[in-house]
Amino acid sequence: MHIMEGFLPLPWAAFWWAVALPCLGFGIYQLKRILSADREALPLLGVTGGFIFILSSLKLPSVTGSCSHPTGTGLSAICFGPFITSVICAIVLLFQSLFLAHGGLSTLGANIISMGVAGPVAGWVVYRILRDTRVHVYLTVFCVCAIADLVTYVVTSFELALAYPAAVGGVASSFVSFLGIFAITQVPLAIVEGIVLALVFKYIVTLKPEILIRLRVFPEEKIRAAAGDAP
Amino acid sequence: MYEEILEDIAHNSALRETNTAVKLATGAGAILLCLLSPGFFAPLFVAVTLVLALVLLARVDIHTLLHVYMAPALFALFSIAVIVLVSGGGECFWRWQPLPWFALSLSRDGINQGVLVLARFAGGTTAIAFIALTTPMTDLFAVMKRARVPDEVTDLAMIIYRTIFVIMAHVVQVYRAQIMRLGYSTFRESVRSFATLCGAVFIASWEAGEDLVRAMEARCYDGKFAVLGRDRPPAPLSVAAVALFFLTTGALAVTTADITLI
Repeated sequence: MHIMEGFLPLPWAAFWWAVALPCLGFGIYQLKRILSADREALPLLGVTGGFIFILSSLKLPSVTGSCSHPTGTGLSAICFGPFITSVICAIVLLFQSLFLAHGGLSTLGANIISMGVAGPVAGWVVYRILRDTRVHVYLTVFCVCAIADLVTYVVTSFELALAYPAAVGGVASSFVSFLGIFAITQVPLAIVEGIVLALVFKYIVTLKPEILIRLRVFPEEKIRAAAGDAP
Repeated sequence: MYEEILEDIAHNSALRETNTAVKLATGAGAILLCLLSPGFFAPLFVAVTLVLALVLLARVDIHTLLHVYMAPALFALFSIAVIVLVSGGGECFWRWQPLPWFALSLSRDGINQGVLVLARFAGGTTAIAFIALTTPMTDLFAVMKRARVPDEVTDLAMIIYRTIFVIMAHVVQVYRAQIMRLGYSTFRESVRSFATLCGAVFIASWEAGEDLVRAMEARCYDGKFAVLGRDRPPAPLSVAAVALFFLTTGALAVTTADITLI
């Protein structure tokens, strides 16, 4: 869910750019550190970005009949952490605005914060909490992806509410209105995305578990156990 | 999906060879003017002028342009509806207040605010479409290098860009095979097919990445990509046209600042 070009007044667009830049700076610092340690990581990060772009340009089966796209950031946050995901996301969001006219350039800062920072950070926190528990890996992936998606939508609603406070009730009232209207599409979308990405994870566990073991996404025994569960 | 990618159109655009900085300045300047304008006339002028430039100068098909607007327009209409309903002020035509702290109303100021946002959306999206439909991404990488964007980010962007097309071909093949086998006939079947498609694409992406590592190592990759930045110098006529466009838009923004729809 992206904020389209022209939606944020100039001061708010500049504010979100100012908030996004330090997050991107930290992401670039982490990216440089990873690349200086392992040069092979660059192509792998690149294909992850390509995968997120493709994933977010595919139409998800939607129960509300609207045109919905998954974000794919939950999976990236699990694999590479939230701040590397923010850099990948910034590039993907730029490509989306220029390739598909989704999102915008003045609103890129706000979109980076909602889809590239808040969503992945929330998903990553859930992942860190559930990773070493007895919760099944597929359920963990479902929770991470659904939460990352939901938080993205909540933060986008908040960004819009700050820019357009209601005449009665101010920002809080406006926030409730934006949450309410987008809940029609975004809540089912988050659930479907969680299910789809858990199934994707199951597919990878079945066919190529070595990818997930190499990325140290979950303890090896958990991946092996899940591969044994998979038919 | 594949057909929606605007990059192919940019490569065939009649403005393809125009200086990249001039095209970027046109788009970015138009977005800035749309946001600075307090009235809706200037953003609408930007939208109309840039649509005409795309159709008449860049020779972009009008149906493609309409297609570009469709997906963002859905989100835009939802959001504008909320902005109109929560923004009060001025004469009130309809009001509903279910809670003391929550009210929806249709007021003069709310409608005018919605019209302004709609005009800014139209102007801004057209400005982005102008960049997207006339400037291939490869030209933007050269600009990123010149603008001293960190090498790691530019290199990552270039690999993502390259990978998109590799994966896209794979997606199209799998997707068509799934359609042929009625993979999207029911909701349940759609979810399963979509997950299989994404899983297959993830594994294909990973293998493409490993192939890329091997290919780059074989070509003495030392951590930096070379970017070929060939660009024509800006033509005086195009610079004059852009300056005139900015001046007219700016003048319109100032003179029509107080004009509202109702």
